[in-house]
Amino acid sequence: MAPDIDYLALAPEITLAVTAVVVLLLDLFLPRRQKYWTAIVAVLGVSFAALPLIALAVSDVGDRAMLGGSFVVDDFALVLKGLFVIAGYLVLLMSVGYVESDRYYQGEYYFLLLMSILGSMVLASSRDLITLFIAVELVSQPMYLLAGWRKGDLRSNEASLKYFLLGVLASALLLYGMSFVYGLTGELTFAGIAAEGAGKAGEPAFIMAILFIIAGFGFKVSAVPFHFWAPDTYEGAPTPVAAYLSVSSKAAGFVALLVVLYSAFPDASGVWGPAVWILAALSMTLANLTALRQTNIVRLLAYSSVAQAGFMLVPFAAAATTDAVGLGEAFAATVTYIVIYAFMNLGAFAVVIAGARKTGTGDIEGWGGLGSYAPALGALAAVFFFSLAGIPPLAGWIAKLVMFGAAMGAGSPWMIALAVIAAINAVIALVYYARVVKTIWMDPVPATAPEEEVRTASVAGSLGLAIGLSAAVVVVAGFFPSLVTFFSDATKVLAGG
Amino acid sequence: MTELVLFFIFGALALVGGLTVVAARNPVHSAMGLMLTLFSLAVFYVVQAAHFVAAVQVIVYAGAVMTLFLFVIMLIGVDKAENLSETIRLQRPLVVLVGLTVVVVGVFVAVGGRFAWITGVVGAGPEVNGTAEAIGDDLFTTWLLPFEATSLLLIIASAGALALAFFRPRRREGKEEGAP
Repeated sequence: MAPDIDYLALAPEITLAVTAVVVLLLDLFLPRRQKYWTAIVAVLGVSFAALPLIALAVSDVGDRAMLGGSFVVDDFALVLKGLFVIAGYLVLLMSVGYVESDRYYQGEYYFLLLMSILGSMVLASSRDLITLFIAVELVSQPMYLLAGWRKGDLRSNEASLKYFLLGVLASALLLYGMSFVYGLTGELTFAGIAAEGAGKAGEPAFIMAILFIIAGFGFKVSAVPFHFWAPDTYEGAPTPVAAYLSVSSKAAGFVALLVVLYSAFPDASGVWGPAVWILAALSMTLANLTALRQTNIVRLLAYSSVAQAGFMLVPFAAAATTDAVGLGEAFAATVTYIVIYAFMNLGAFAVVIAGARKTGTGDIEGWGGLGSYAPALGALAAVFFFSLAGIPPLAGWIAKLVMFGAAMGAGSPWMIALAVIAAINAVIALVYYARVVKTIWMDPVPATAPEEEVRTASVAGSLGLAIGLSAAVVVVAGFFPSLVTFFSDATKVLAGG
Repeated sequence: MTELVLFFIFGALALVGGLTVVAARNPVHSAMGLMLTLFSLAVFYVVQAAHFVAAVQVIVYAGAVMTLFLFVIMLIGVDKAENLSETIRLQRPLVVLVGLTVVVVGVFVAVGGRFAWITGVVGAGPEVNGTAEAIGDDLFTTWLLPFEATSLLLIIASAGALALAFFRPRRREGKEEGAP
């Protein structure tokens, strides 16, 4: 018997897989000076992968399910796949100049990055435990390698090893939880688990399984107390890889968490709601307080991304205490936050890459006066950092608004408490985001700054394009939030809202 | 009946193998003990009619993985007079404590019949066909996508490991660097 395969539904994944293999083969045959072709092919491949996505979005077939319901292309999957393609595209653009400037293994670099993007695409469509797990591994494994891509640098070695060891531990926890779920329900598809597990929410083994799964994904989204790898890995890894880790890899973890919790354990929200409440409160508070004391810009962004993960978890906790409509609202709130966060954080990392090139340092002190000799970059840095802080009219404000809306909409005292914690943390976060902007614009140029031509050298074209695109989204979405909420509303199909 | 007899024979062999791993002075003997345990487990799988798993057990674990172990042991040339002094304090009492806990819990579960959520599912599952044909059928229809994705994981591992472990000779790099 032949498997039922809908090739159009799989087209984005197939395009990416073929591109990745072509890049790997090209790398084999190209002479060293023409290796940049691998980058061009990779960028083109990711662009082409977007075409079938558009075709799928406009087709009126509706949801496409195949392989026994394991792989589903619905509105939720399409929106998230679109996000992963765009985020992957931006990271590729950031990588071009960066990977060329140091002696990297370009072909393998792009191959691994494409594979990770492919994994996140499969993840968005996976509706059973096995496909989900393989997809999660497909996202993470290239990242374990890429984190150590600066081979001569000890911190990069440390970054790779730390991420690998903790990531493998997380995978083990995840698998352990999944094995419990399979043992208890005898089902692998999320629909089957939801049906079989309906009456089992109180069983100790079932609760344990859910907690193990949350812990496993907690590592992937770097929520406190599973965040220890994040700052060291971000600092040591090549900066575009850190950007990918903090956006696509984190978003992939959230997508997995959304799909599993909402579609496999809808009846056990009384179990995972409180667990996520604790994760959210801890992530926001601890990460923000630690971020206050950071002197390195990448470490600051690492703690900031942990704190942002906390904000994204807030609607999850709210979902536990509300009805079906509230469930859909909470779901859409998380997706909205992820989409907006992706652009503002990618932008922030792109600015950091450009700024580090100009100032020659990753220390915030050394960035003094950046605004005086690179006003455009300084202004864009202000845009991204203030957006991360949630200052209107930038897009980060909409993300925070939707998040608070979901928390207050639930109405229970616990959720109001969490909303208060989130509000306090938004203020704390403003302090360290604003400090970076203040250094850039108000502090004098430090004596250690590199000479004039380095400081005023123009930013690489592809990097500039990445910064420009992210900035455009952050500004436009801030004025027209319906651009983002249109997509996140479409994803409610999965939560049944 | 055959099942019971085979269980006792190979169960005993598996235990002997396991003890050899821990007790043998020579690491090569330890590896051999591990191999004995793995083979005995393969027999269990055959008895359970999981022929494919048994074959994989022999080929992958008893074959490939054990060869790798032996390679490592012999290449690194582990010293026969290994320093066996224990650095963790209270190691032995702790081991006894943990071991006893496991035994007590095991007996509790087996005899007491508590924790129905652990044992309750046994036998209740659907009839399983463990032949290679049945597994191939499943693998290439329902699980086609994860199967293909796993092959990508293997390429990632090999390509990435090569790129990380391989350093180009310094001299050539210097020459290339001068070029624009």
